[in-house]
This record gives sequence, C-alpha cells and structure tokens, in this order.
Amino acid sequence: MSTTIQPQTILHELAELWVTLGKESAPDQGSGVLRACAMTLVTVLEESEDTSDVWSVMAALMPEHPSRAIVIRFRPSAERALSSRVFSQCWMPFGQRRQICCEQIEITASDASLPDLPAVILPLAVADLPVVLWCRGARVFGLEGFPQLASIAGKVVLDSAVMGGAAETLGRLDGRTRAGRIIADLSWTRMTRWRQMVAQIFENRSYLARLSEVQQVRIGFGGNAPSASAYYLGAWLLDCLEGAGAKASVKWDPAEKVVEGQLVRLEMNAAESDGLRVSIAVSGEPGRQCAEVRVNALANRTVFAPDNDYSLLRQELSIPGRDPVFEKSLTRAVRLAHGE
Amino acid sequence: MVVIFGANGDLTKRKLLPALYRLAYERRLSPGFAVLGISRTPMTDDQFREKMSSSVEQFLEDSPFDKEVWTGFARSLFYMAGDVSDPQTFSKLAARVREIDAERHTGGNVLFYLSTQPSQYGEAAKGIGDAGLATGQGWRRIVIEKPFGHNLASARELSEKLHQVFRESEVYRIDHYLGKETVQNILAFRFGNGIFEPLWNRRYVNSVQITGAESIGVEGRGAYYQEAGALRDMIQNHLLQIMATTAMEPSATFQPDAVRDERAKLLRTIRIMKPSEVLENSVPGQYGPARIGGADVPGFRQEPGVGPESQTETYAAATFFVDNWRWAGVPFFVRTGKRLPKRVTEIAIQFNAAPYAVFGEHGDETTPNLLILRIQPEEGISLRFLSKRPGAGMKLRPVSMDFNYGSSFGERSPTAYETLLLDAMIGDATLYTRQDMVEASWAVVEPILNVWHEHKFDFPNYASGTWGPKESDDMLARHGHTWRRP
Repeated sequence: MSTTIQPQTILHELAELWVTLGKESAPDQGSGVLRACAMTLVTVLEESEDTSDVWSVMAALMPEHPSRAIVIRFRPSAERALSSRVFSQCWMPFGQRRQICCEQIEITASDASLPDLPAVILPLAVADLPVVLWCRGARVFGLEGFPQLASIAGKVVLDSAVMGGAAETLGRLDGRTRAGRIIADLSWTRMTRWRQMVAQIFENRSYLARLSEVQQVRIGFGGNAPSASAYYLGAWLLDCLEGAGAKASVKWDPAEKVVEGQLVRLEMNAAESDGLRVSIAVSGEPGRQCAEVRVNALANRTVFAPDNDYSLLRQELSIPGRDPVFEKSLTRAVRLAHGE
Repeated sequence: MVVIFGANGDLTKRKLLPALYRLAYERRLSPGFAVLGISRTPMTDDQFREKMSSSVEQFLEDSPFDKEVWTGFARSLFYMAGDVSDPQTFSKLAARVREIDAERHTGGNVLFYLSTQPSQYGEAAKGIGDAGLATGQGWRRIVIEKPFGHNLASARELSEKLHQVFRESEVYRIDHYLGKETVQNILAFRFGNGIFEPLWNRRYVNSVQITGAESIGVEGRGAYYQEAGALRDMIQNHLLQIMATTAMEPSATFQPDAVRDERAKLLRTIRIMKPSEVLENSVPGQYGPARIGGADVPGFRQEPGVGPESQTETYAAATFFVDNWRWAGVPFFVRTGKRLPKRVTEIAIQFNAAPYAVFGEHGDETTPNLLILRIQPEEGISLRFLSKRPGAGMKLRPVSMDFNYGSSFGERSPTAYETLLLDAMIGDATLYTRQDMVEASWAVVEPILNVWHEHKFDFPNYASGTWGPKESDDMLARHGHTWRRP
C-alpha cells in the first residue's frame, strides 16, 4: 500500500468520471448530466468489514439523500499507509429510462495515518453542503486522532450498541454534545418505533388524560445490564411523563433467552391496581417479530419490522441539524445510567 | 505570423505551442500561418521543431496528438537565436520576418508575443520599433504577460515604453483567467438569461465571495514569488478582473471596447481603502509546514530561494465595496492563497435569505441561496437552494444542483491560451486587459500593499492544507459573514 494520496488527484478522477458519464448519456438530445447532491457522507469502518454491505446501504440511500460517498477503511497498523480508488455506482430505477449515478471514493488507511486524513477529506467534501460522518466501529471511535477527523463533519452518526459500556459511552456522547458537536446515536434511532407506539396509544384523549397516573415504568431487555437503547427509552418516557405532570421511576427487568441489549417489553403502570396499565411486548423470531400493545384489558398486535442500517441511517440523514429531543434524552439517559 | 520572444521557456512549451497546435488541428489557422521563435539558445529550425514536438505531445490537454497534423504544422515553425538586449537581434529579426513572409505569404501580419522577463518588455518593444517592425504591410500587435508593473507608477512607466512603439489598441495584455470558458460564460449567463439579471444587484444579493485557491506551494518559484506575493500575483490582476466581469454593467454592444469600458468602469468604482482601513479589511497570510495526504510539505520559509524571515504573503484576503448604484453596501470578499485544501477558482453569489421564516420549525432556513460560478478546475455552475425532503412533514434541507461544462456538452472546451491567441490574431481584444484597467486595479491594491509593507506580521499564520489564517475568518465575522467551504 502507498503511504500518500493526493486529494487533487482524486478530485481530478471524479471530474473525469462525470465527463465520461456525460459522454455516455445522450448529448445530442441536449440532456447532458445533471447532478444533484445534498451532502458528503463519510463512512468509517474496519478494513476487515465487508464493504459491499456498506456500499449497498449507500446505494439505497442515494435516491433520497444524494451524496458524495467516502468510505474510509481502517487497518490496525502502526505503519503509515494510505491508498484510494474512485468509482461510480449507477442504477436504473424500475420503469425509468434515466440512470442514477453517485460518486464514490474508497480510502484505505492504517491507524497511524489517521492524523493525515483530515487534510485529505476536507478538500474532498462537496462545497457548501453538510458533511456527515458515520462511524461504524468502536475501535476507530476510540483512536486518538478521531476527534480531528470528526471535526470536519457537521454531524457524527455512531452506534453506542457497539461501543462497549453504555454508561461510559453515553457520558462521552453527552460531553461531545455539550461541547457543541452534533451527534446522532443509532441506538436512539432504534427507539423510534417504540416511541411511535407509545405516542399512538396516547393519541386517545381518554388515555392521555390519565397519563399523570403513571408512577412506574418497567423496561425489559436482554442481558444483565440495560443497553443504551433501554436508557434512552427510559429517559424519554420520564421526560414525557414529567411534562404531563407524572412523577415516575424506571425499573429495569433483565429478560432471559433474549439477545443482549434487545428490548422486549415496556410497561407503564399507575400505582392503583385499577389505574392505567400500558404494556408493549415484542416477541417472535428475528425478522418476523410482532408487537402486542395492551392498554388495561384492550390488546392489539402489530408487525414489528426489523431495523437495518439503511432504515436507521435514512432517518438520521433526514435531520440535518440538532435533534433537541435526542439531546435532552441523552442527558437524562446519562443520569439513569448513573443510578438516578 | 506569431513571433515569440522567449521561445525556449516554459510558457512556450507548456501553453503557447500546444494551443497553436490545437488551433491548427481544428483548422483555425490560415495556410500562411507561421511561428518564429526567438531565444538565446542556439538551435536550428529543425531542432526547434523537434523540441516543440515532444513538448506539445507532453502538454497537450484533453486532445490527441496527431502526427500528420503535426508534420504540416511543424513546417510553419521557425527559429532564430537572439538576445533581446542586443540591437543586432532585431535587425536579424526584420530580415527573417521578410524571408518567412516571402516563403509562407503571411500577408505581413505580425503578432509579437513577449514570453520573457517583464523587465525586458520595454527593451523588446523598443527593438521592434527601431527595426521598423512595428509597422508594415499588415497589422502589428504585441502581447505581454503579467505582471504589468509592480505598482501603479511602474505600470504607467511600462505603458509609456510600449506606447512609444505601439498604439494602445495594438497592445494585448493577456490575463489567461479571462480566456477561460466560464469567465466568458459569466457574460452569457448574466446577459443571455432573463431570470438572473433582475436579481443581480444590492436588493437581492447579500454578498459575493471570490476564491482563487491553489493546493500547491510555490514549487520552485520561491525567488520570484518572494518579490511578488499573493496580492500582486493573483488579486491585482486575475481576481479583480473576474470581479469586474461579475459586477460590471451590461454593455450596449458586445464590441471589444464596449465590454472593456464597462469592466474598466467597474474597477474604477471599487472603493479605495484609506491606510487606517487596510488592516480591518484585508488579511495577509503565509503557510507553514504540515502533512498533507501522508506527505510532509514545507512551509513557505523552508522553500528554496525564500528567506527564513520572509514577510511575503502566500495568502491574501480583502473586503471590497463597489461604490455605484447597483452594488452599494454589498461586500465583495476576495481571497487567494497557496497550499489551501484544493485548487479551485470560484465566484459565489449569496442571495438574501427569504424574508419570512415560514418553515422555521421544520428546516434550516438560515441557509441562503448560493449561485456558484466555477472557473477551475471543473468549469460549471451550481445553484444551492432549499428543498423539501421527500416524505412526510415539511422538512427542508439544502441541495446543490450542478451544471458541468465537461459532462453537459460532452465535448472539449478550448484552453484559455487557444481562445486568447486566436482572439489576438483576429483582433478581438474583449478578453484582454487595457491600460486603464491595469491602472484602476493597481489603484485598488496599492494602498493595501503599502500598509502591509510597513507592518511585521507574525508569519506563518496558517497551516498548509487549511483554508487560511483565523484573522481572515475574523474579517468576515466583523461583517456578519463566514467564508464558505469551496
């Protein structure tokens, strides 16, 4: 592997790429090539990861979030090494005649070359548009030079589920958010469906009127300790309940035979035995799960479609700026993780 | 006939001959066309042809090298050894011009191209005049490269020397930026489209940013650059000309002098800074060492030929105001620098934000519309606007829509030198700089140079690979703006 790469060379190759695509289109019809771009999406992962999965996610995102995609693959090595390649990914949407293409840059770097990367990525970012950095691994996030790389991005997306201890990770994220950085955590994004189900229950005005009765929230999860997602859900619920005038506490219920970190049950109970009792329970094989939503004696079941990288990232890219609800919940989640 | 002084130099090899060859390739040159190269190195015509053949093959941009076309073109190349400081050179030159004229039937038209040291311009013009070459059967024109003086007084002095031999209409001061397709397209864009011109004024335009960034350092030109600096090297000529083209009033016709009159008028309306205003409205910078893309790059003071305490600026930024009805109060932020993150020359016109935040809770409404005119490396135009994100809800986000010359037309754009050389041959001076324009831009730049010269700056003040010194960001912040990221 080479030790240096020239951003100017990569930009030149990108320009050539579009000229080629332009020539391959139908210039005689005056169509040319019109590029639309909404951001630069930088994805950071381990070299050992299968990049085809990542590129598939990029391709799926492109119609809704057209971007210049830069994938940086890190190799644990103390020797400086950098290399790059440029290519495009095109696809023909069903029923259409026009191809959609996006430009892609893949950079392979050793850990030791991390300090060299900001000066490479900065010129590659599309002018005037947001830069979003998606960090897929805990190891790279923990490298000494990572904050300098992340500082190029307006928003950093990561997944605390793969970052190790929830309390420590949430504390670090909260610290960075308080320092003014815009952070998104896919563990929070996974809670969107849970939050939607809770919100839908209280669209019923008679239930909403009784929300202040709730004194206890129980969250069931796989593993021995609550995951970041569990803390987020607990934090969000407590904030919402406080907003409705309820004074509630959270009780954590470890569940057996459940994948570690996965949420399986949520209960919101009033103190009185005949008071409001709400529960959401998720069951079934992975990929074929359903959620049972029960309010007192009334129950209904709904499909609980699985999340994947595409659906999670799609949601996060739709929020270009700060997400105040997430940031508020993050702060509360840190307190919960420290025994509030 | 084109007579090139300095025919063994880099400019001839890299730009002039490849451009002339390409014009021949496109059959834009008349059959009697000829090139006579002059430099001090002794060489025969055939040796010159051989040397130029390999240069053209090496430096031809986006174009095939056709051996058959070259063979025909090479027959029009001639060479004579001569020193500009030796009067004998010009009498020999006169004889050689007559000889080639007789052989090729050039019609007596001669374009003198001075690709020499600027200090030799006056001497070369005098030699041409003394040898009786400035007049003749056909037209006579002279092309000179920048710098056109190193300040207002020396620019006037140079003009006086040239005017002793040539009329102003025969002097072609070349600024290769103006030959670029997108710079010409500014005029087409502004005056050929009904939708933009009504917006092109203080009522709708919030500010204009002009960036001329280089990713490389001085690359062996340290000794020259140490005497010039970024303000002289880029802003005084290229960037002020671009600014004038962007902001000028429409000309009544597209005749060369009508367009140049408007450009000159604009340059004369740029507010001249008082000495007390200079440090508030301009920022010099100098790059320090850094690592870029895994390679160590030296700081300016570590470059060969540069003094370890050099005060020469490799970065310059300034805030200009145009005192006329159209642009009153609109700041024009101009910056240039070496060792910036990427090579890019762009004009960004920032429009006022929408007057009322109707989508205030749903999107980033502080993002104003931006129109970007990209001059290099990818010539094109982009428009940034807010768009509703697909899906439920009214969430807005900025989107950039690009028009790219290369990919949209699917055909090669001529290089700036092809355009400008052909224009000089056909007598179209629209894209050339006139003496009054040179003087007007020196009048703008000179007060800044004078104040900078009196100060000792704490250089280096920006790391290579970054977008310049913090003081430059502060200058924009004082006006309530930020530099965009090109």
